[in-house]
Amino acid sequence: MAAPDRQQAADISIISYMPERAKVISTHRESSATTIELVLEDGRPLHHSPGQFVQVSVFGYGEAPLSLCSSPTRSESFSICVQPKGNVSRAITALSSGDWVGIRGPYGQGFFPIDQMRRKNVLLVAGGIGIAPLRSLIHFICDKQKDYGRLQVVYGAKTPSTLLFQKETAQWVENPHLDFYLTVDQPDKTWQGRTGVVTEPLREMDLAPDNTIAAICGPPVMFRFVAMELLQKGLSGENIYFSLERRFKCGIGKCGHCQLNDLYVCRDGPVFRYSDLQTRKEAGEAWVPEKAQDAAKEEKR
Amino acid sequence: MTPRGIQIISGPDFNMFLEAIMAVQTVIGPRERGDQPGYYLFSRLQRAEDFAPGYKTTTLPPKKILASPKEKLFSFTFDKPPRLRLHVDASPFVLLGVHPCDLAGIDALDHAYAHPPAEMRWSANRKRATIIGLDCQPDAYCFCSSVGTDAARIPCDLFLTPIDHGYLAEIHSDRGRQLLQKANTSNAGEEELAAAKRWRQQKVERIRAKFDAPLERIADILETGGLTPTWKETAKRCYSCGSCNTACPTCFCFDMIDELDPDLRGGTRYRTWDSCQLLDFAMVAGGHNFRGERWQRVRHRWQRKFLYLFRQFGRPYCTGCGRCSRACTVDINIVDVTNQLIAAAKMEG
Ligand SMILES: Cc1cc2nc3c(=O)[nH]c(=O)nc-3n(C[C@H](O)[C@H](O)[C@H](O)COP(=O)(O)OP(=O)(O)OC[C@H]3O[C@@H](n4cnc5c(N)ncnc54)[C@H](O)[C@@H]3O)c2cc1C
Ligand code: FES
Repeated sequence: MAAPDRQQAADISIISYMPERAKVISTHRESSATTIELVLEDGRPLHHSPGQFVQVSVFGYGEAPLSLCSSPTRSESFSICVQPKGNVSRAITALSSGDWVGIRGPYGQGFFPIDQMRRKNVLLVAGGIGIAPLRSLIHFICDKQKDYGRLQVVYGAKTPSTLLFQKETAQWVENPHLDFYLTVDQPDKTWQGRTGVVTEPLREMDLAPDNTIAAICGPPVMFRFVAMELLQKGLSGENIYFSLERRFKCGIGKCGHCQLNDLYVCRDGPVFRYSDLQTRKEAGEAWVPEKAQDAAKEEKR
Repeated sequence: MTPRGIQIISGPDFNMFLEAIMAVQTVIGPRERGDQPGYYLFSRLQRAEDFAPGYKTTTLPPKKILASPKEKLFSFTFDKPPRLRLHVDASPFVLLGVHPCDLAGIDALDHAYAHPPAEMRWSANRKRATIIGLDCQPDAYCFCSSVGTDAARIPCDLFLTPIDHGYLAEIHSDRGRQLLQKANTSNAGEEELAAAKRWRQQKVERIRAKFDAPLERIADILETGGLTPTWKETAKRCYSCGSCNTACPTCFCFDMIDELDPDLRGGTRYRTWDSCQLLDFAMVAGGHNFRGERWQRVRHRWQRKFLYLFRQFGRPYCTGCGRCSRACTVDINIVDVTNQLIAAAKMEG
């Protein structure tokens, strides 16, 4: 088994698939996603760790796995940031305050044993909606500043208008404890920042490979290139963490949808060490950029 | 498994036994399909005569009684806050006529669902069921002796072996013993024990389909890989219809769907059987499909049954029942393909 050092969430023992009720207390719409703040009906904190996810139900539509984008250090509520991609996600982005949803979780293994990160430098690389789980970690580390070394964040989006958490990212730029690199693939006329994919700022960065832990979340194609860059910089596979997306239904290792070779992404992940993924064929197959897959197909014809 | 007791029950006494159970509990067992004579299904028996003890197989395994193809999980309303009501069935029933391979299937699912985090739905239904096993004779698709399920008894309460003019009934639990008290039985003599033994010997002798390697070796072969040509060859024929998964007694992948009530004031969430062979099984929003190639899905089915779950639970998630081969629209036979994999691995050295 991978990640034997991470304990299974033991308290979710008897599963009925019936969610708890939670109330929407605020929503914040940006052009590519909506952030929704929630509280459980009884007001109890969710007690999640950064990188974990919840199964969110909009009754009548269904359920979708969504990363928690808030930090457990700010426990009066929890938040998700949702892109409208299909039936359920669209219904979630349409919610307003006062609406109710169902919540199952928090489920899964979050970003690295937080103890292991103590006093280390932390490098976060986010692509697109991948900023959601990493934002949880950014808040967490900012709230526990003393415990950690340098925090570096690289965040890339397709276009300036799809950048998420724009108010906050403006503050991150100013934050002296955080090195923030923002980049877009396709700039517009007003864009004055960096352009290019996330690996470009990475290339320039000066890392202490033995004292750095990296966490990455983004579209499948990103993983390979970021991993290659980090390995070249001398980071070891054990210190690189990926948060993966798969199709989820149950979120607890039963329904089979999220299986990646012998692993269930929902139960054993969604956060994995790169070293645990390297040995698994289905991880590699997913990382081959789809264009390359198509090219290979063409070749065969 | 050694039974806790053995009794003999005659044919007429057995029918009276069934009627006595039916008077107080639902009995579900194999019966001939009214719409398709010669085919059998597990469903409620109304009379003792409905029981078809000589059935070879059923299209769907008895798993469908414990985790139905479309299972109600809970209902919800659109009130603010929504009202949620968990759906649970509590009524006990007897599941009759389960062949050893299907007992092994239920046992496999006991392990899968109970693995932490344990889920309550399967276990709640299992508690409702008293299971009466029944020995069988193989057809050309059966290969239970290759996966070690030909003499499976767990998790039955009673187990019947047909003998002249009746059954030899093995008692495997207190529940089974209690149930059998409803029957007129006698002690088993040498002759009856010998008849049951003969039945079992004949059964194993008649099995034609066999794996060419032990299970542990099959797991190793799958793990080593290098079998892509065989996967692609098999995938050329496969329609990705999912019949194999639907007919399988150990497949347990599922989907969840919401359905609305006609008055639109609420609805129900169901869990439905799903199939890893279907194109969209591993597809995520945005269209990325993690097993988009047919051969990857074919490979996944074998790896799950004979490698991942085998390593996790120490047993294959295949019971040798042959249903997938019978159900396959293009005659992909699980034994043939497995033997091709074994042969391909031998060629590789
Ligand atoms: C751990 C994890 C964390 C995540 N975190 C976030 C997050 O923080 N923010 C976020 O926005 N997203 C996140 N996602 C992704 C999010 O869960 C999906 O976008 C969401 O589940 C899509 O569901 P949907 O019902 O809206 O789409 P669906 O309508 O279910 O569509 C999903 C995909 O499946 C296909 N599909 C569905 N049903 C069928 C069918 N019957 N036949 C053929 N194709 C079908 C669709 O074409 C689509 O590609 C996360 C996913 C995971 C696994
Ligand atoms: S989502 Fe069901 S097994 Fe992972």
